[in-house]
Amino acid sequence: MGGKCPHRKVKKRRLSHKTARRGKFLLNADDAVYDELVKLADKGKDCEGKALPVDEDLPGMGQFYCLHCDRYFADETVKEDHYRSKRHKKRVKTLSGPAPHTQLDADLAAGMGMPDNGLKLMST
Amino acid sequence: MRLEKCWFCSSTVYPGHGIQFVRNDAKVFRFCRSKCHKNFKMKRNPRKVKWTKAYRRLRGKDMTQDTTFEFERKRNRPERYDRILTEQTLKAIPLITKIRHERQKKHITERQKGGKSMSRKKDAKELEQDLQMLPKKDTVAYEATKQKVIVSQLKTEENLMEE
Repeated sequence: MGGKCPHRKVKKRRLSHKTARRGKFLLNADDAVYDELVKLADKGKDCEGKALPVDEDLPGMGQFYCLHCDRYFADETVKEDHYRSKRHKKRVKTLSGPAPHTQLDADLAAGMGMPDNGLKLMST
Repeated sequence: MRLEKCWFCSSTVYPGHGIQFVRNDAKVFRFCRSKCHKNFKMKRNPRKVKWTKAYRRLRGKDMTQDTTFEFERKRNRPERYDRILTEQTLKAIPLITKIRHERQKKHITERQKGGKSMSRKKDAKELEQDLQMLPKKDTVAYEATKQKVIVSQLKTEENLMEE
């Protein structure tokens, strides 16, 4: 998928390689992040409180993480800078809005009822 | 065999049609045609794209709540085969679709009726003009409601002034 970018004049940057775009594919999608946030809210924990696992492959040993943007940072100051950025604030705003579109929404909009799972088989 | 609905536009995806995308967290996204797939790849929100069912449902363009919607649903518990039941179901399907289409038609004609605010204004004016034609009991009640409205308006204005 190495496409030519016609608006770039610099020859070096003319080609957009998949390796360069890989970060974009690895990011969590909006609905996945939303689910994560909902899960945390149900637990009643703030997203800061939990100790993160140490991973030496990630920037800053994976200790400085922004849940909303799914990004790791090198240290606390960079993370704070990120929190003050427009991009982060925008993202927080979108994620605090209505829940993202799901297959269930699509089904309901198509005129289907709620899924029928039948009776509970095991009594708890 | 299941007829799934398109993730983007909510139309039915028949076997051999469309494309299915499985994300690396094992979530399945089904699309009825390349148009929907492309729109998904562009990260468009179906709620903001005018031609999708999700948009139309959200803005009240289509009928949303109806008893005929309760028949078609994803059933995750398999039904035990029953010849009579199947026969009856097959008989009921065209009837129900007919009823649903009629209701949808009615919904749309009602939605497209114009001049709602105009008619409301006209009614209010008529009431004001022909108040003496009403029995006295009703006029008193009407005046009382009017007084209430005025008082509440005044109160809010006072509050605003104080602030």
